[in-house]
Amino acid sequence: MANTDLEVIIRIGSHSEKEYVEKTGHRFDGLMIGANLVEVTPGASASLLVRMAGQRKQRPYYFDPMTYAFGSYVDPISGLLRTDLDWIKSEQRVKGGKKGQVERLFKNSYAKLATALGEPFASSISNGGRAVTPDDLGTKAKRRATAASVIAYQRDRIRSVFREDEDYKEYADEVPEPAAIFAPYFYIEPSDEERWITVNLELAQAAAALKEPVELHTVICAPMETVSDRKFTDRIQAEVPASGVQGVWLWFSRFDEHAATAEELTNLRRLVSSLAGSGLKVYNLHGGYYSLALSKFGMTGVAHGVGYGEQKDVVPIIGQSTPTVRYYAPTLHARFGVPDIERSFSSLGISTPDDFWNTICDCAVCKGILQKGLDRFEEFGEKHYSTPQSKRMAQTPAAAKLCRFHFLLSRIRERDDLSKTSIAEVNEQLKLARRAWRGTVLRDDLLYIDRWLAALR
Amino acid sequence: MALTKEADLLGPISAYTRRQGYTRQSAEVQFYDYRIDLYGFSKPTGRTIAIELKLHKWQRAIEQALVYQLCADFVFIAMPASSIARVDLEAVARHGIGLIAVGTNRCRLEVAARQSEEIREHYKRYYVELLKRCSAWQIQT
Repeated sequence: MANTDLEVIIRIGSHSEKEYVEKTGHRFDGLMIGANLVEVTPGASASLLVRMAGQRKQRPYYFDPMTYAFGSYVDPISGLLRTDLDWIKSEQRVKGGKKGQVERLFKNSYAKLATALGEPFASSISNGGRAVTPDDLGTKAKRRATAASVIAYQRDRIRSVFREDEDYKEYADEVPEPAAIFAPYFYIEPSDEERWITVNLELAQAAAALKEPVELHTVICAPMETVSDRKFTDRIQAEVPASGVQGVWLWFSRFDEHAATAEELTNLRRLVSSLAGSGLKVYNLHGGYYSLALSKFGMTGVAHGVGYGEQKDVVPIIGQSTPTVRYYAPTLHARFGVPDIERSFSSLGISTPDDFWNTICDCAVCKGILQKGLDRFEEFGEKHYSTPQSKRMAQTPAAAKLCRFHFLLSRIRERDDLSKTSIAEVNEQLKLARRAWRGTVLRDDLLYIDRWLAALR
Repeated sequence: MALTKEADLLGPISAYTRRQGYTRQSAEVQFYDYRIDLYGFSKPTGRTIAIELKLHKWQRAIEQALVYQLCADFVFIAMPASSIARVDLEAVARHGIGLIAVGTNRCRLEVAARQSEEIREHYKRYYVELLKRCSAWQIQT
């Protein structure tokens, strides 16, 4: 069941990430784009996808229909169930209103997406917003219609962008199909878990019944606690393979591989193993190295952002400041602050650039930066006052870019290495890395390696 | 005055280190994503100090102090005198970190800091230049 053709799929979060995709995307196994991004920037999204998926680069692409955005959710601040879809709204200027007058409206991207997807999504954003419920999908006919429209959207949306453009309409039929299409999916909200699982499975069945000529996948999107809920995982293991899909993408909201307990990690491994054993392709929608290592237990692929997006909340907490993009330590498969890495140099015996390249990383980015001297490592963490009003310095865009490119190159290497190594060798490498870094300031931050080792045994 | 908050330690420790010659000082100095509670510069000697204030969590203070050794000649942990008994003095000394006990009326050096062997001159230079531009010490006591 071990997978030697592990796929790493890069998720495009915004068009500001275009440079990363254009420069490294061809070395990954696919690209994924969210439908909300396509709706707000159809031309740019379509041309990027066609550039990457077209005849020259031929990267498979996936089109996440983002249907979960229209379901109920648990507010991450209050912990309360919300059905008003407020998280996909924003403060917007009142047209024709007084200066500074704002009102809370649906974000343009999601409003357009709901309209494009049809019912029940379109109705959910009328009258101020009401989340789609299992009752809205309570009949076979409704589920079939919803599955058909969501699938048609994924198969045709990019083509339609070309079709609507006078200069490019003749190329519309050359737009490649997505590598797989997703059945509509919703967050399995814990207060109504059973019904949400049922609806998701029924939507997968309805999509499978359409017998589209493209591979069909479903997404299991649930709170991270469910990975350790035996009843939940038993049902997923038993019923997803029977739904008629060829692949399943797991998304346990807020599941952080570096913070998860050994038990949670083991349960994820078991789930992956069981689903793969049923003949399904299994992906982690937002995963990191641990998920990559699960290729030894049947994981087909892992998706993540360019820097880094290895875990994701179903509902993001708004108002958080932009996090620093930290340096990815390849042998530790984790990211750390620049000064923490730098302070580890002496304990690791690093006193020259050559030492660094031999011990930490010799990717093209690290080679380029450190050939000017070991002290140039600080460029990965360079800070500035981003505005004259800033009270605190933030990472410069140039430093963030270095960290992201270094991460992407490291990830390619991790994938390639995994395809050549056994699970015993993976575990041995993890042990060696932990031992090597044991004497550094990071020693107390490496406990996740023990948990990974316990789970990968 | 009871020392119940980390901020309560700042005034006494600032006065103490000024008496040691570190007359140019700044509090809450950013070092990447860290905030150094007190950074000081002695113009006559050209030396710098970084001080981490903690009420109890001395292990965490050691972790932070080790990182500050990249940018300061001498690094100290300062804690209320009443908390010092719980600190592993050997661990502090082994890392070359100093320890200062802060009382309501006076501060006392418990462990002397060693000159940092980890210091990066470019980091130190940045903070020295920053403090040289200050006309006077910046701590509000």
